Amino acid sequence: MNRGTLPILARLQSLQTTARIVPGGARIISETTDRNPVAQLLRVTNETMLARSLRFVSTGGPSLTLDVAGRRILRVTDAQGLAGAESCIGLEALEDEQKDDLIKLLQGVAIPREELHVISGPVGRGGEEVSVGLPVALLADLLLIELNATEPDEEPEVAPEEEAPLPTSKPGDSLADGGGGLSGFASALGPALVAWLINGGSEDGRTDGPEEMVSHLDGFLGDERESLERQFDVLSATPGDPICMILGATLVEGHSIVAARVGAAILLGVIEGDATTATLGAWRPALL
Amino acid sequence: MGVTESLGAVVKAFPQARLVAFADLSSRMILSSAGTLSTTQEHLDKLCDQARASFDDPLFALSVEAFGEPNAAVVMGPENLRFFLRSETEPADAMCCICDHGIDLPAFVAKIRTTLESITHAG
Repeated sequence: MNRGTLPILARLQSLQTTARIVPGGARIISETTDRNPVAQLLRVTNETMLARSLRFVSTGGPSLTLDVAGRRILRVTDAQGLAGAESCIGLEALEDEQKDDLIKLLQGVAIPREELHVISGPVGRGGEEVSVGLPVALLADLLLIELNATEPDEEPEVAPEEEAPLPTSKPGDSLADGGGGLSGFASALGPALVAWLINGGSEDGRTDGPEEMVSHLDGFLGDERESLERQFDVLSATPGDPICMILGATLVEGHSIVAARVGAAILLGVIEGDATTATLGAWRPALL
Repeated sequence: MGVTESLGAVVKAFPQARLVAFADLSSRMILSSAGTLSTTQEHLDKLCDQARASFDDPLFALSVEAFGEPNAAVVMGPENLRFFLRSETEPADAMCCICDHGIDLPAFVAKIRTTLESITHAG
């Protein structure tokens, strides 16, 4: 096979994979049966071109938050339940001397036989301008991981368990609490909600879906948030009331726009296919 | 079947549809309605305005830009669900509905679509 086609095949394969969303808006990137969760973590990171903050959370407890841009890990902004993170946290940009410590953190959060979730959000510090950091491809080479693999992963040959930082928190401690709210609404809509973001409120910055779609929605809300609030108020019994609106050609096929407001938070997203089936059941819990 | 009978048939088939109305969006008038919800003319005017607002900017522009002109809108609040459907052939013709949250929305949307088509084509 022409190696030039491998990234394309890998991308096509990932696009055909049904995304699973859990309460809190997180996306499951590695199942308990995945043989090499570190590989899944690196592939998600490697697909992130625009500057984003990726928070990886294991159902085993630990979490790791990275600023990522242009297939590079710029910095570690948070680590929960992971020992040995001190050498990486707080640095403006990771350098070569931190790569071994970073690999241990990646292995510590991507625990075999646990689900691994990712929550995407805006970076904390202007990552767009940073051109340093550690290339994901370098980390993948060190871990003997094929980023563009089209076949199931082999068991990792490195990462002896005794070297991986041990979780220090109880399982589930660092998972997002959401079940209600707009993140919970997004989760309940399931894979039909192909792209979304939340603007404002305590869930501000949560997103999921293809970056180009999320970026378009983000730009729209940046320009039109005030007029959208006015549109909501015309449709509400009282200004500021919770409201959810779905707009489409038919609502049962093609794409529809979903926009919802609860408190100060607004969710804007795109539903693919039948928007009428899951919406009602998803909306009521968001009001609780 | 006339407009009144058509709307009555929808309410009979879907008791959780509290109000089903046929409107002319261009003149902002509800032309006929059926249902158990007691309404004043003010309520009907407001419902018609909400239908117009549903197919207005900024979400209308976003939808047009992304996927094409929208003809259907669901608006859910704490109290009820409203469904607005415009005719594809006569965009001023629209159905405006107020329902309880427990309604079978997929089936209701399909029923309203066929009802609107029959009313528009009969008119």
